[in-house]
Amino acid sequence: MTRTAVVAAMLVLLAVLGIALHRQRRRTAGLQAQLDAAAAELQHLQEACSRLAPAGVVQRLIADGVAPGTEAAAERKVVTALFADLVGYTAMSERLEPAVLARVLNGYFQRMSDAIHEHRGHVSTFLGDGILAYFGALQPNPWQCNDAVRAALAMRAAMSEYNVELAREGLPPLAVGIGIHRGPGLAGLVGSRERMEYAFVGRTVNLAARVQSLTRTHQVDILVTEALRAELDSRFVLAPMPAESVKGIAEPVVTYAVREALA
Amino acid sequence: MASALEHVAWEQCLVEPHPDRALESYARRRWGVPSPAIRYFVPVPWMARAVIDLHPELGLLMHLDQDVADLVALVVSQENSCRFCYAAVRAMLWVQGMSTGRIQRVEQDLTRLDLPPRTVAAIAFGRSQSRSGPPAARAAREALHRAGFGPDEMKEIAFTVAITDFSNRAHSIPAIPSRPLERMPDQLRYRLFRPLINRILKRHRFRGRATPPLDYTSSTPYASLVKACGGSPIAPALTRTLEEMWASPHLTRRCKLLMLAVIARGLACEVCAREVGEALQREGLKEAALTQVLTHLDAPELDPVERVLVPFARETIWFEPAPMQRRARALRDRLSSPQILEAIGVAALANGLCRMGAMVLDHP
Repeated sequence: MTRTAVVAAMLVLLAVLGIALHRQRRRTAGLQAQLDAAAAELQHLQEACSRLAPAGVVQRLIADGVAPGTEAAAERKVVTALFADLVGYTAMSERLEPAVLARVLNGYFQRMSDAIHEHRGHVSTFLGDGILAYFGALQPNPWQCNDAVRAALAMRAAMSEYNVELAREGLPPLAVGIGIHRGPGLAGLVGSRERMEYAFVGRTVNLAARVQSLTRTHQVDILVTEALRAELDSRFVLAPMPAESVKGIAEPVVTYAVREALA
Repeated sequence: MASALEHVAWEQCLVEPHPDRALESYARRRWGVPSPAIRYFVPVPWMARAVIDLHPELGLLMHLDQDVADLVALVVSQENSCRFCYAAVRAMLWVQGMSTGRIQRVEQDLTRLDLPPRTVAAIAFGRSQSRSGPPAARAAREALHRAGFGPDEMKEIAFTVAITDFSNRAHSIPAIPSRPLERMPDQLRYRLFRPLINRILKRHRFRGRATPPLDYTSSTPYASLVKACGGSPIAPALTRTLEEMWASPHLTRRCKLLMLAVIARGLACEVCAREVGEALQREGLKEAALTQVLTHLDAPELDPVERVLVPFARETIWFEPAPMQRRARALRDRLSSPQILEAIGVAALANGLCRMGAMVLDHP
C-alpha cells in the first residue's frame, strides 16, 4: 500500500515536473522567437538608419554606446568642412514639375555624395539643395585637406557628366559652388532630447558656408581658404582671389580658386 | 547558415591560387586540416607562413583564456567586415559542436552586454583598436586593467587583435573567396565528418610555453615591440615573420618602410613613426623627402613602385572592404601579382603591429 502510494506520488511528481518542463520549453521557445524577431527588427532598423545617416556615423554612435537620455562624449578636433550649394536652384525649382525636380535633385545628391565618399569624406547633412560634408571628423585623417579638394574636383567632374545626361532629357544644366575650410571645432552628438545628430560645431563650418557664397562673387566653382591652402599639396593649381568681407567674420577673407590637380 | 556579413560586398579574388605541396602540407601539419586560403599566398611565402604561424590558437597564448581570444577574434573580424575571417571563426565554432542557432545567439550576445565583465572589456578593446587605433589605446588599456587583466594577458589580447587585424586585411584586400567556408555547415560531407574534424583540430590546438629570452638586436621597426614580448612564444613567431618580410624580394626595403611610415602617420602612432623614420634615414632618404611623403603621399624622390604603394598604404588603415578591394584591383595595371600581394601583406602587418605597439609599449 505504502509502496503503491510512493510510486503514485512519484508518478504525479514526474507528471508535474514534465508539465513544468514542457511549459518552460514553450516559454523559452517563445522568448527565443521574440529575441530572433527583435534581432531581425534591429537589423532592419540599422539598415534604415544607414540610409538616414552616414554608415560611419551610425557605427560611431553604436561604438560610443549612446543610449537615449545619455550624452555622447564630444571632442575637439581639427576638421575640413566642405559646403556645396546649387547655383540657380530657385529659378529651376519654379520651372520644373515637382516629380522631375525631385529626380534631378536626387541624382545630384547621389553623384556629389559618391564623390565625397570616394575621397574619404562623409556627408553630414543635406540642407535644402546644399551639402555639408566633413573630412577627418569620424577618424583621424592627416591628409584631409588634399582629400577635400580632390573630392571637390571629383564633384566638378561628376557635375559635368550629369549635365550631359540632363541635356539629353532636355533639362537645364546644373552648376555647383563649393567652399572648403579647415579648422577646429567640437565633434559629437548635438541636439535636443527628442532629436540629436552627430555634428561638427564651430566657426569652421560657418566660414566654409560663407566661402561657398563667395563662389558667386568671384564667378568660380571651388574656393578654399588660406588656412586650407597652407596644408595643400603644391600640385593643386590655385588662383588667388581678392579678399572679401563676409557676414559674421571681422577680417576680409582671402580665398583661392581651385583650377586643377597636376598628376 | 546565414552570416551577419553575407550582405558585405566581396569582389572577385584579385590573385590566382597556386597549388604548392610544401606550403599546403606545412599548413596541414600545423592546423591538422587543409587551409582553403594558403594557395592564394604562395607567391609571397612569408605571408603564407605568417597566416599559418601567427594563429593565436597554435601555441602562442600562455595566459589569456582561449574562449576570450576566440570572441575577440570574432568581434574584430565582424568589426572589420572581413567575410573570410568571420566565416572561418564561425566554421571553427560549428566544427567544435556549436549549433548554427547557438552561433547566431553568440553573435547576438556580442551586441548585448550580458557577458562577463572581463570578456566585455576585451571585446571593447578589440573594437576600439579597429575603429580608433592607437589614440584610443590608453583608455581601452585602463578599462582592461580595471576588469582585472594582468600585463601578460593584456599583451596577448593586443596580439590577438593585431593578428586578427593582419589576417582580416590579408584576406579581405585580395578578396580571398569566403563562400566555401560560409557554406561548410550546409554540406553533407562536413556534417558527417564534423566530430572527426573537431578531434583533429583539438589535437592541434595547444597552449603556449615560455621561450628563452630573445637575443634580438635588430634596429628595424617593431624591434622594441618584439623585445617587449620576450619570454612569450609570440616573440620568436613575430621575429621570424618580420625577418622573412624584410628579406622578401618583391618590394624594396625602402618601399616597405615607406608603407610602414604612412600607416604609422595615419594611425597617429608617434613611436612607430619615429622608428620607421630613423630606418628610412639609414636607407638614405632625406628628412625633407620623408616629410613631403608623409604630408602629401608623394615626393619626387620616390620610384614608380613607391609612388603607387605609398598612397595605397593609407587606403588600408580604416577598414572598408569594397573600396579597399577596388583600390587594390587598380594596382594590377602597374604592379606584378607578387608585388601586389607583398604590398597587401606589408600593409596588413603594419596595421596590426602598429595597433599592438600602442597597447604593449604605451605609445602616445
